[in-house]
Amino acid sequence: MPAARREPGRRSIPGMTDTTEPAEPTLAELDLSDEERVVLARVAEVLRRINFGTVVLVVQDGKVVQIEMAEKFRLR
Amino acid sequence: MSDATATITPPSREAGIPKLSVDALTVERTLANGERIVAARDVSFDIATGEFVCLLGPSGCGKTSILNVLAGLDRASAGRALLDGEPIEGPGPDRAVLFQDPALFPWLSVRANVELALELIGVDGDERLERARAALASVGLSDVLDAQPHELSAGMRQRAALARALACDPSVVLGDEPFGVLDAQTRELLQNEVQRVWMGSGGRTTFLFISHNVREAVLLADRVLVMSARPGRLLEEFRIHAPRPRDLDDVLVGRVVSEIHALMLREQERPGA
Repeated sequence: MPAARREPGRRSIPGMTDTTEPAEPTLAELDLSDEERVVLARVAEVLRRINFGTVVLVVQDGKVVQIEMAEKFRLR
Repeated sequence: MSDATATITPPSREAGIPKLSVDALTVERTLANGERIVAARDVSFDIATGEFVCLLGPSGCGKTSILNVLAGLDRASAGRALLDGEPIEGPGPDRAVLFQDPALFPWLSVRANVELALELIGVDGDERLERARAALASVGLSDVLDAQPHELSAGMRQRAALARALACDPSVVLGDEPFGVLDAQTRELLQNEVQRVWMGSGGRTTFLFISHNVREAVLLADRVLVMSARPGRLLEEFRIHAPRPRDLDDVLVGRVVSEIHALMLREQERPGA
């Protein structure tokens, strides 16, 4: 993990590897399939639309078959 | 993934005149002892054509009062209630109402009950019989066309009332806790029935149900409007984008149900509520 990503104030001991945090690969490193890209694009589209609520991905046989969401608005 | 696009549709409410519109509506009632109480205060919402909306709230929060104003059975004390942009002056065949009690005529057969509704809107002869038969078939009552209401179970009577409402092809169906007195199992059957009917209407029929059953509301509705205790005001709106028929076991349904339960509990415990 690059040092720049570490939270401020967190010390690293020279010579030791921090294994408590999984590495965060960049989007390019993820090597996404076309199908995965479509799913992520749809999820992003949903996330851009809602401020409060719930998003549920329904997976069947290893594939996302449905994205459901409930959006919440405060009216008072 | 092709399904996902169908499940997430932007709210169509912004386009055109809403089917039903409630604008700063306040409803007061006079009790038997002459005391005036405010049932609902300053409530506003729109419902688009083909939407399924549930109004949810504790007993006495003015849900029924709002529905009665929309049905044309009661008058607003302040504010307006509109159908297709026009003020609602009274009841009409364009709005069917389902009450908690099926309100069938006990001396008429199931078929005759449905036929009477059709007769009142001017449908005659063979067409009337055909439409009554078709409506009763659509709710699974083909075998009991000539039964008297008292010979049927409570669930079947409520189905007959649903058939009577649908036979007249209303553009709006208003439900005042129509499944309130049914046992849990019959209630679930009818909820599925209503989901099926709504899906079959192809976006022509607008449904507004009032309920104090959170699960029912989340299962059925595109939008759930949660009201406070009396005098009822709108607290929160939940827009649910999930394909139908829905199931009570669906993750999203369960999640929204628990969220609304928590909201209603908080509201009940609020000082001054």
